[in-house]
Amino acid sequence: MKQLYMMMLGMLVVIGSFAQNLQLKFIPLAGNTSLVLDDSIYQTKAGEPITVRKFLFYVSHIQVKDVHGKTIPVKNNYYLFSASDTATWNIALPIQPQMLSAVSFTIGVDSIKNVSGIQTGALDPMLGMFWTWNTGYIFAKLEGNSTASPLPQQTFSYHVGGYKHNENAARTIYIPINSSHKVTTITIGANVLSWFNGVNALSIKAHPLCHSPGKLAMQIADNYSNMFQLLKVQ
Amino acid sequence: MKWQITIAGILIFLVIATAFTNNGSKPTPLVFKVPPGWPQPVYDFKQNPVTLQGFELGRKLFYDGRLSKDGNFPCASCHQQFAAFATYDHNLSHGYDNSFTTRNAPALQNLAWQKAFMWDGGINHLDAQPLAPITAPNEMAETVENIIKKLSADAEYRAMFKAAFGSPQITTQRIMQALSQFEVMLVSSNSKYDKVMRGEAQFNLPESLGYAIFKQKCASCHAEPFFTDFSYRNNGMPMDAVLKDEGRMKITGNPSDSLKFKVPSLRNVAVTEPYGHDGRFFFLINVFDHYRKNMVVGPTTDSLLKNKLPLSNYEIGQLTAFLYTLTDTTFLKNPRFAPPNFNNQPPAEHVH
Repeated sequence: MKQLYMMMLGMLVVIGSFAQNLQLKFIPLAGNTSLVLDDSIYQTKAGEPITVRKFLFYVSHIQVKDVHGKTIPVKNNYYLFSASDTATWNIALPIQPQMLSAVSFTIGVDSIKNVSGIQTGALDPMLGMFWTWNTGYIFAKLEGNSTASPLPQQTFSYHVGGYKHNENAARTIYIPINSSHKVTTITIGANVLSWFNGVNALSIKAHPLCHSPGKLAMQIADNYSNMFQLLKVQ
Repeated sequence: MKWQITIAGILIFLVIATAFTNNGSKPTPLVFKVPPGWPQPVYDFKQNPVTLQGFELGRKLFYDGRLSKDGNFPCASCHQQFAAFATYDHNLSHGYDNSFTTRNAPALQNLAWQKAFMWDGGINHLDAQPLAPITAPNEMAETVENIIKKLSADAEYRAMFKAAFGSPQITTQRIMQALSQFEVMLVSSNSKYDKVMRGEAQFNLPESLGYAIFKQKCASCHAEPFFTDFSYRNNGMPMDAVLKDEGRMKITGNPSDSLKFKVPSLRNVAVTEPYGHDGRFFFLINVFDHYRKNMVVGPTTDSLLKNKLPLSNYEIGQLTAFLYTLTDTTFLKNPRFAPPNFNNQPPAEHVH
């Protein structure tokens, strides 16, 4: 009887460890502080003050690399991060906790999903991350206000996307981890201020709007591809 | 004797199994027929197989004002069956709150062969097309969320979604796939021209003379059997000062695409007036006069039209006779494409 009890307990432990997922967690930042939507004013590198209303991006093609250099891909999973919805900050990957050397992911949606009609789940066009007049996903969105903006109500609005080869705005992010223990949670900061500097300085006064694929969208994508920083590995 | 029993047993099992499958309300497949001599369609039927239940659902959605903000603008308000699903007698169509659309509503026919949609080809999949008019503030002005809310409150819709897709859930994907199932079936391939091509009828003299002129002067862009090659071209229509429509360039960002628009099909051309991307030509003669006299040759004007398109009055007469053979009354009057429970009322209330 005791043996049976032990066996059942053992099975529960096994099931329990299977049920545990590796968590990928994103925290929205403005510089070194947590991003507060609407209420806080931040300064871009060019000195333009901003408040942020919306901050969203698609995370896809997540891969982790174990300490032996083997990559474990997460196929056909698309996640939509939204700063205004904390439930979207945490992604439970279908991968068990393990020793890791790196994590990589794409900010954007691959071309196949851009040309295959209407998708479901995180890719449902209803979520507003979709251009109806020029079919394609908006990979990342940053909207807010700035006194530097020449637009009505002093808004700025950056909708970045584009899957065609000469306007491809998908960016792959690679973050080294080098863990010495089994990783259960990887916490990554996403800094909105990086949208305005980096490879291409972005002035709200000069470019308050980006609403289509093309050169500006790719430049902004280059900028925000540097917005991620590893905060914590647990 | 034993094998006979076995066979009888298998047969009985099959009959029962079939009965059970039908009972499980599997939708009834509809056959999509490719007209003889036509290429295979580009629409991926494997991703969205057409069924009777899906088609009927799509038809109901197409004619349902609830897809618009105030209930007045179903798809059919701009796409009328008697006009080959274009807007009859309107250069620009009417949208929500006394607004105008910015382009002439195109005929909806033979959509399963189209790779891209809209005058500028900006939409790359038939399933994705309805999102544009549904959400545009000057068209149906509605959100998909709201549509799902409205339709989910209707038991008839829940039952129809279940019949078409296996469960009553109403999603963006299912709404769009049902609309596509209706739209891909809008095949026009039974005009007098088609009958002549099949050897079932004969052109009269002006029609056959017109066909010869057509092949010589028009068919390089308006290619048979669709009467369009689906390309984007600048045919010398100067930009409207109010609309400021750059056409294809809006999608590609490429200045060489400035003022290029999709070559429209000429099928059912006799009932799809006005013509042109902004409907500026109210009659066929305006189009002919554009080509022979009024067109403006600019840097992106099609190389085939660098010297305009000379047409004599005689040629215009014969061409008109031929173009009238492209009217397909079996398509324009097919009750399967009419509103559900069609009872001789106009296909859709047209609100001014």
